[in-house]
Amino acid sequence: MTRSRSLALAAGATGAFAVVLAAGPAAAADTASVSVLHGVPGVTVDVYANGEELLSDFAPGTLTDPVSLPAGSYDLAIYPAGSDPASTQPAASATGVQVPAGANATVVAHLTEGGTPTLTPFVNDVTPVPAGQARVTVRHAAAAPAVDVRAGGQVVAPGLTNPNEATLTVPAGTISADVVLAGTETVAIGPADLPLAEGTATAVYAWGSSEAGYQLAVQELGNASSAPGGVPAGSAGLADDAGLPMSVLAVSALGLTGAAVAGRRLVLGRR
Amino acid sequence: MRRAVVGLVAGLAVAGGAPAAWAVARPPSSAGVPVTQALGSPVGDVLLRPVLAPQPPAGVLPPVTVRDAAPAAVPDPAAAPVAVSVPGSGVTAAVDPVGVTGDGLMELPADVDRVGWYRFGPVPGQPGSAVLAGHVDGVEQGLGPLAALRSVEPGQTVEVTDAAGTVTRWRVVSRELVEKQALPLAALFARNGDPRLVLLTCGGPFLPELGSYRDNVVVVAVPA
Repeated sequence: MTRSRSLALAAGATGAFAVVLAAGPAAAADTASVSVLHGVPGVTVDVYANGEELLSDFAPGTLTDPVSLPAGSYDLAIYPAGSDPASTQPAASATGVQVPAGANATVVAHLTEGGTPTLTPFVNDVTPVPAGQARVTVRHAAAAPAVDVRAGGQVVAPGLTNPNEATLTVPAGTISADVVLAGTETVAIGPADLPLAEGTATAVYAWGSSEAGYQLAVQELGNASSAPGGVPAGSAGLADDAGLPMSVLAVSALGLTGAAVAGRRLVLGRR
Repeated sequence: MRRAVVGLVAGLAVAGGAPAAWAVARPPSSAGVPVTQALGSPVGDVLLRPVLAPQPPAGVLPPVTVRDAAPAAVPDPAAAPVAVSVPGSGVTAAVDPVGVTGDGLMELPADVDRVGWYRFGPVPGQPGSAVLAGHVDGVEQGLGPLAALRSVEPGQTVEVTDAAGTVTRWRVVSRELVEKQALPLAALFARNGDPRLVLLTCGGPFLPELGSYRDNVVVVAVPA
């Protein structure tokens, strides 16, 4: 299991930190793939990028498909749906988010551990997994203290805190996941069946609050498949292509024997 | 005396002629277009949902589509293949879904009379390369039906029957002996691109010290 901190980000209207997203290996020319997940309970929002409306009436628990954005610096903000950004304080904002060419990222609107709306960009890992495997990244985006993430009752991501993530590569299949308060058996979310298809990368978010309830959100990040290492398809040598088959050799040997017998007769006959 | 001469000549003719006739009658090690050409150009890292729009003009944000993020059940998978045959070739076998072995190789049915379908790849007919592979032989079991794959010719028809009883037909465009080290695995097991059917078994020289064959017999077919 690997663990990585998400990129810390400005919280609220006052924050103004530059956030650099790591560029992925398969970089598109000069665009980045960015998705937005809404995980702030109870408020429908409009999303703005550089002062321009990116999408409107964005409901909690929904997710955009990946959007191809020109690489560059973005000021991101969410406002209550229908409000005028010129005269309204944003519900949350992030200023100077650097989106490099080739990056694959999800910007998550969610609550901090203390319950304040914030925007956190997460870098998505879509590098290939071995054949037969799937990658799952769990992200803590809920107004809650540290949690343990469990699969099939076993803790797989202990002590995860908001706004961090843990990544696992597991055999493909459906896992039964739940989230408990760290170090306890107190189930906060789930259990829920998560289908992890072979060769995929999936992000699972825990979001919400104790008042609004906790939920899971699932995002399919993309194709992380790779081919098996080979096809070992024979062991006996019966289809050996290197030499003559035994049957042909036998016929040939028979011919030689006949020739030898005839030759001997020929020699003996001359005497 | 004359009979002896005739016998000598005939014997030598058989001794030399049998291998010569075998070499002439035997199909060449490859036929049709090269495998890599038949599989199409390699496809790069593509998102499962091809939603990356062309870059928008400066200052105009692209349209955004939104989906529910709640955990959802997987849709029922398409019907898996259950039988494959190449009429007139001797290739005919039942098909089992298979995955990968512990060391990351394609898993194959132990029974040489059965063929494995790589269940992590596409179902035959869906985008990408559907792979059916089986053992050419086994020490205890002898040759399997896929031994005949070595003689399949371009233009021949492959029939695949799925679990619902539907038969799809494919036209062979390529047969090639490819050294295992040089196998274009990413293209053979591609998850996207035009639908292809790939039939695989072992072939080429047998390497007794490794207990395996040097090459794979690769047959590529396109929808008929």
